[in-house]
Amino acid sequence: MMPSLYWQIQWRRNRRLTPLYGVVLLLLVVYGWLFPGLFSRAGLAHFTQSWFPLALVAMAQAILMLTGGISLAVGSLVSLGAVVAATTMGATGSLVSMLLVLAAGLATGAASGAIVALLRLPAIIVTLAGSFIIGGLALIILPRPGGMILPWLSAVLAGNNPTVLLGLLILLVLGWKFYLATPGGIALYAAGENPVAAYRSGIAVEATVIAAFAISGMLCTLAGLFVAAQTGSGDPVIGTTFTLNSIAAVVLGGVGFLGGEGTMRGALAGSLLLTVMINVMFFLGMPPVAQYIAQGIIIVVAVALPHLLGRRLAP
Amino acid sequence: MRRNWQSLVAKMVFSGCVTAMMAAPVAAQAQSHCVTGTRKPPFSIGWANIYSVPTWMKQTTDTINSEAAELKKQGLVSKLMITDAQGSANTQIQQIQSMIDANMDAILVDAGSATALDRVISAACAKGIAVISFDSLVDSDDLTAKIIIDSKEWGRDAATWMAKTLDGKGNILVLNGPAGVSVSEDRRAGAMEVLKQYPGIKILAETNTPYNSAPAQEAVTNLLFSQPKIDGVLSLGGALSAGALLAFERQGRAPVPMTGENYRQFLELWKKTGIKGWAAMQPNWLGAMAAYVAVQALDGKPVPVHVNVPLPVITDATLPSYLARAKDFPTDGYIYSPYSQALFASYLAQK
Repeated sequence: MMPSLYWQIQWRRNRRLTPLYGVVLLLLVVYGWLFPGLFSRAGLAHFTQSWFPLALVAMAQAILMLTGGISLAVGSLVSLGAVVAATTMGATGSLVSMLLVLAAGLATGAASGAIVALLRLPAIIVTLAGSFIIGGLALIILPRPGGMILPWLSAVLAGNNPTVLLGLLILLVLGWKFYLATPGGIALYAAGENPVAAYRSGIAVEATVIAAFAISGMLCTLAGLFVAAQTGSGDPVIGTTFTLNSIAAVVLGGVGFLGGEGTMRGALAGSLLLTVMINVMFFLGMPPVAQYIAQGIIIVVAVALPHLLGRRLAP
Repeated sequence: MRRNWQSLVAKMVFSGCVTAMMAAPVAAQAQSHCVTGTRKPPFSIGWANIYSVPTWMKQTTDTINSEAAELKKQGLVSKLMITDAQGSANTQIQQIQSMIDANMDAILVDAGSATALDRVISAACAKGIAVISFDSLVDSDDLTAKIIIDSKEWGRDAATWMAKTLDGKGNILVLNGPAGVSVSEDRRAGAMEVLKQYPGIKILAETNTPYNSAPAQEAVTNLLFSQPKIDGVLSLGGALSAGALLAFERQGRAPVPMTGENYRQFLELWKKTGIKGWAAMQPNWLGAMAAYVAVQALDGKPVPVHVNVPLPVITDATLPSYLARAKDFPTDGYIYSPYSQALFASYLAQK
């Protein structure tokens, strides 16, 4: 019985996301038609590089929103990751520097998670305060854009070859699948949907929330590391716009604000939509004012379609 | 470390150029960096704006549009394509990449980050695209030209004027733009260099706000409550000074000597309150000049990587000439000095 129930659930979730997939696919086709170079190695590499940091922060945001939380510190964590990478890499070499970046994200994430879970404070307020502290920290570490990333790392991650990046994405998605198969992953959904019921069925709700925050923080600083590699340097305010965009991507992807509802693939599709939209509008030659309007319309359509089709799709 | 790496890149680029020249000895001799001489007029220009909403940016885009129209008439420009990164340096990278993919002939860029665009700009340069940076500049020199208004000099000149106006003695506020942004940090660094030489000038407080009058007004209002004696306001951005003057007015405090920028509201308040004032400007026509310089470089004229534009300054004496033209500018806009292709050519010619 188990497999059939599993696939039933998967099918229902995918069906709700079909309209979003449709819009993303349509835009990808239009983009490929307007710019055939997309299908070259370098073209694919550059496009995935544009998408990758947003995909990472969308995952980071989605994990928190599945627990019923939200993070306003995504952008400052990205900046922190970027400046830690750019300031340490010269002295410590790439491996230590990357570990420092990941540790910074894990530690700050776990700390905010502990405050949220143990003191029972709203995530939105804790992460708002956190965004000021972390953003300030990034400015102290690197007051003015600078630092450096080893050129080989930039070339591997953000050069003319998409393989490493696509490989990383696949690894992350597999990692997420694996996490969901562990008790910790199941607890994530349970704690988000109904924390009291989850607690009564023996789930360590606090630990689950703290783990979610820690993973989320690490994904954000990883995005910062990537942005630093992509740009070859660090910038203490580079992440600012990621906070809002991560929320937009995740909500587009059908993750609910109340927790326990939504999928990672939805969040990834949402981030892909936001990325491909910008390129399509460029190649259509739209003036910026029209771009704002078109962007709004595409987002509304992507969100509204499931509801419009909802009646017909309902089981 | 960074220097080494930069020089390594420079060497790689240089050796790339050498190979290119050996491979194609017949090609027209390139006189400007990035320009290979293979692109023919009329040229397509991309304007990679970081954020189109602020009035300063709208005015700048207007000057680029009118310059492009003039260059079109001269048969030098085919089309102008405009993108808006909505404040995100990452989106700006993506859009510049799209401009490379679309094989534009020139890219004008107002950078969302001094360092983040380095790699994508080098990629454009390697494709023979003329890249011109203006206003918020990039640190990299691997591009065709940077149109430079020296932000440090701005800070130095503003601080010097303030110190002299106060006879080297007094309490001042320092109003800065956002922290971590190069223009704002550089203006501040220049100002601090000078203020160090005037021990009689005491900095009561410094603020960091966006370049908008409302947050500056709020910050100065708070400081007015806590500081009974303020002799001058060293503001390093026009809208900041307007906000400061409004804060003084609202609290009924006598306004004090103040520096600023060519922001229309500030210039009008400067006249209305009769303060001693000084203003520099980041003229909007830097955008028009960027378009002009790009076309010159593509057309085979020699363009240096650093194109210096002397800092235009408004004083108590020249203020009326600016206010006389105020009606031609938006009420929340910037009144810039007049410009022409001849002026741009003269800046290009000077060493």
